[in-house]
Amino acid sequence: MTAGGSIVSGDGAGGAGAAPSIGSALLRVGLALAVLFGGIGAGMGYWQVVEAQSLSTDPGNPLVQAAARNAPRGRILDVNGEVVAFNERGSSGERLRRYPFPAMTPVLGYQSMRFGTSGLERAYDAELTGLKPLGPGRDMMRKFLTDPYDPSDLHLSIDVRLQAAAASALGGDRGSVVAIEPATGRVLALVSNPTFDANRLVDPAGGADYLESLRGERSTPLLNRATQGRFVPGSVFKIVTATAGLGSGAIDPSTTYPTDEEYETGFLVEGFTIRDSPRSFQRDRPLDFFEATEVSSNIWFAHAALDTGADELLAWSERFGFGAALDFDLPTAASQVTGGDGPLSGFTDRVELANAAYGQGETLVTPLQMALVAACVANDGVMMRPHLVDRLESEDGRVQTVGSSEVRTVMGAADAEAITQAMVLAVEGEFGQVFAGGAKVPDATTAGKSGSAQLGETGRPHSWFIGFAPAEQPRIAIAVIVERAGFGSQVAVPMAGDLMEQYLDLDDGS
Amino acid sequence: MIAALDRAGIRPRFRHRELLLLVLASVALCAGWVSLASQQAGQMSIGDPTIPIAYVGILFVIHLGFVLTGRRMDQVLLPVAGMLGALSLLLMARLPQGLAGLSLGSIELGLAPLQLLWLSVAFSVLAVLAIVVRNDNWLREYKYTWAAVGIGLLLLVFVLPPAGADDGPRLSLRIGPITGQPSELLKVILVVFLAGYLAENRTLLARTSTKLGPISLPPVPYLLPMLAMWGVALAIVIVQRDLGAALLFFTVFLTLLYVATRRFAYVVLGMAMFLAGATILYQLFPHVRVRVDIWLDPWADPLGAGYQVIRALYAFGRGGILGTGLGAGLPAVGDTPAIPAIHTDFVFAALAEELGMLGGLAIVALYAVIAERGLRIAARAADDFRALLAVGLTLVIVLQAALIIGGNLKLVPLTGITLPFISYGGSSLLANAIVIGLLLALSDRGVEPPPPPSSARRFRLPSRTPA
Repeated sequence: MTAGGSIVSGDGAGGAGAAPSIGSALLRVGLALAVLFGGIGAGMGYWQVVEAQSLSTDPGNPLVQAAARNAPRGRILDVNGEVVAFNERGSSGERLRRYPFPAMTPVLGYQSMRFGTSGLERAYDAELTGLKPLGPGRDMMRKFLTDPYDPSDLHLSIDVRLQAAAASALGGDRGSVVAIEPATGRVLALVSNPTFDANRLVDPAGGADYLESLRGERSTPLLNRATQGRFVPGSVFKIVTATAGLGSGAIDPSTTYPTDEEYETGFLVEGFTIRDSPRSFQRDRPLDFFEATEVSSNIWFAHAALDTGADELLAWSERFGFGAALDFDLPTAASQVTGGDGPLSGFTDRVELANAAYGQGETLVTPLQMALVAACVANDGVMMRPHLVDRLESEDGRVQTVGSSEVRTVMGAADAEAITQAMVLAVEGEFGQVFAGGAKVPDATTAGKSGSAQLGETGRPHSWFIGFAPAEQPRIAIAVIVERAGFGSQVAVPMAGDLMEQYLDLDDGS
Repeated sequence: MIAALDRAGIRPRFRHRELLLLVLASVALCAGWVSLASQQAGQMSIGDPTIPIAYVGILFVIHLGFVLTGRRMDQVLLPVAGMLGALSLLLMARLPQGLAGLSLGSIELGLAPLQLLWLSVAFSVLAVLAIVVRNDNWLREYKYTWAAVGIGLLLLVFVLPPAGADDGPRLSLRIGPITGQPSELLKVILVVFLAGYLAENRTLLARTSTKLGPISLPPVPYLLPMLAMWGVALAIVIVQRDLGAALLFFTVFLTLLYVATRRFAYVVLGMAMFLAGATILYQLFPHVRVRVDIWLDPWADPLGAGYQVIRALYAFGRGGILGTGLGAGLPAVGDTPAIPAIHTDFVFAALAEELGMLGGLAIVALYAVIAERGLRIAARAADDFRALLAVGLTLVIVLQAALIIGGNLKLVPLTGITLPFISYGGSSLLANAIVIGLLLALSDRGVEPPPPPSSARRFRLPSRTPA
């Protein structure tokens, strides 16, 4: 035995040849292994530090699922502290989510052991279960606590009284109401009718059957009309057209169309005749922007859109959020001005562009989008990000406030002011009253625009209204649509007026 | 007392460092055990201390054996292997006991007691090898016999009825009530053969006489074993459907070839051959394709093929830096493990969840220590055979650990190999214990010197440089 033997080399083999030394090869093997272990360490760092949070709140994570089963999920409360979602123990001891206000379903969604989550219950799942703690550094400290969960309560901007009032106003009709505080983007009400009873859906006993029956319903109660329903807007879209025309400089408030002659014979665009509905009054001179908005002249807005051009109309509508899903707490569908497959910047021809000016053609909007249009005009042309949650409060007393944030300045303050004036005339003007006078809120200047969206040759139109009040210092902006209910003035307009009035009373009272 | 021992012919040689490290490992095990039991009971508890006491007892008896026999062996390897085994026991005690079961008469053994049983057998074999092996002729002289035994083991799987389901890798062998995985023993046997073969022929292999384009190769007859190894590795993939073992064999082979010849070109060539073979296998065999596809994008099928890998990543994410604490993770919901095969293939993910990144790095460090000790033993070895054997044995453990840890972390495709000394399973523990036992024997500065190199070399090289 060669005690403490030295590095083995070729001479170990009795001088059999020029075998290279093993020792230095060993060093390189050692270095290679060090690199290998370093790579493993880096891999651990990546998954256990960099990606840890997103992995731990992934809906597929059994931790998230276990939390859904076991953790004391946070409650959800409305703006006045009314509890709109809480926990209860089911018959076999499992945790069950309870929803005392059925009208809140479009906002809250549900949390079910069987079907997972939807609505706010999904958007804020990690915060409600406490898997995503409030405040930085908390994640590491949590490991030392016996109870790993720190659930947060959600405090909403929704006033459940306004929400319930809007739902009962819609009654048996299909439709939607979205109300927003213009200066902040706080959503005051978000109603979709008909909806469903989330309590029945999360019930382990009959939930599956109930869901099956909901799927079969022709009235599509599972569809959240407020955020994902896409409707022909009719004349309420004229506000978007006006913004594009004024903003691009193609028109100004004193621009006048049409001539008396056109009113009699109709405005002929490439063989398609646009007519204004016959009215009991007719001015003896061409209409300007204010008058055209007041009497809702299709011919005037068709002229305006053609002068503005397809590109500008699209660009300005995109500033309102058209063409993409809106950034919101709930999933949203994109609104569109055109189907987008035609040669004229997406429009098939000038006829489609002229029709789009007053919300026909291939124009489709969500109620949330139209409420944002109204809120943006009300807020001097600045669009605020809509949100449902005011703040989160964790069980151990931490508070996280969800602030207001600006999406962008859609139009100049002067244009917003002009459009506001026109919308006030549409509700309160001598001739406007005939259409939208029903939306007038007593003791408050009210701005608005009604719409009757034609759906083909037959059947009743969608009844629309968008507006805000008080016009000088808007506190609520609203969009109301009642599907196939008739002219705007008949259904949506008085409903919006009532709801705005109720909200201002409630807001003054509280 | 020393005098009494002396009269009995026993000359003890104290091993202070080993003793200290063993005490540390035992303290770690006991602390972990109390922590786990307290977590499970919801209050301060020591649980059932039989298992840790029995295990610590075995380790100290082996230490005593080494001391009394006066061995001058490495003092770090036993405590490191002991620590890995201790982690294994902690994990097995924490997982659902129903994952494994064995009935011995009226006694039903669950996961943790069974693992203790396998650990006891494995460490006994380790100790016996370390003490008894005093010369290496039986390994050195019969290398082709060992190779034949290895190939036989490989073929045995087809002769004997398979133990597991038909669709998975055909890894298991059933003999009576005991199932085993022959590829675990095969890797040790293959290393013995390679060490013998390369030690004898490395001078010749280092020479180049064949040109293949820009690459210089050794004389053609000496290339054949390399091709044979390539064939064996691919055969393992094809017939055993065992990607991990094939990758391990071939990597160990290439590294040993490099150590023996210092020719990096062989490594490159070998890797190219393996990649070429792997590409063909990827095209031909669905089980290979599935493995690779899961690795590239487990989220393509999160509830099917990618399930295991994604669940493992969740476990890593839950653990974070500090871990959830023993018993506080989610390796199982009720009796259903959160990750399929958590006690064999995904032990590292389970431990990294509860011990965090720091604990995981500590485990990696333990394997790094084995690598360091093994390479040191190789560097001090008395001749080429012993050096190559030590390197090969070290690599078998270290590369296997790296492959499965890398698989857990989605750094390399997941393969169904075990994490040495931590994964549940008798044949894996036994094979790794043999490896450590042989490494300890190789490190002993009191063993017989190697035989003088045979003068009857069949080949002599004309050129020779003075050493």
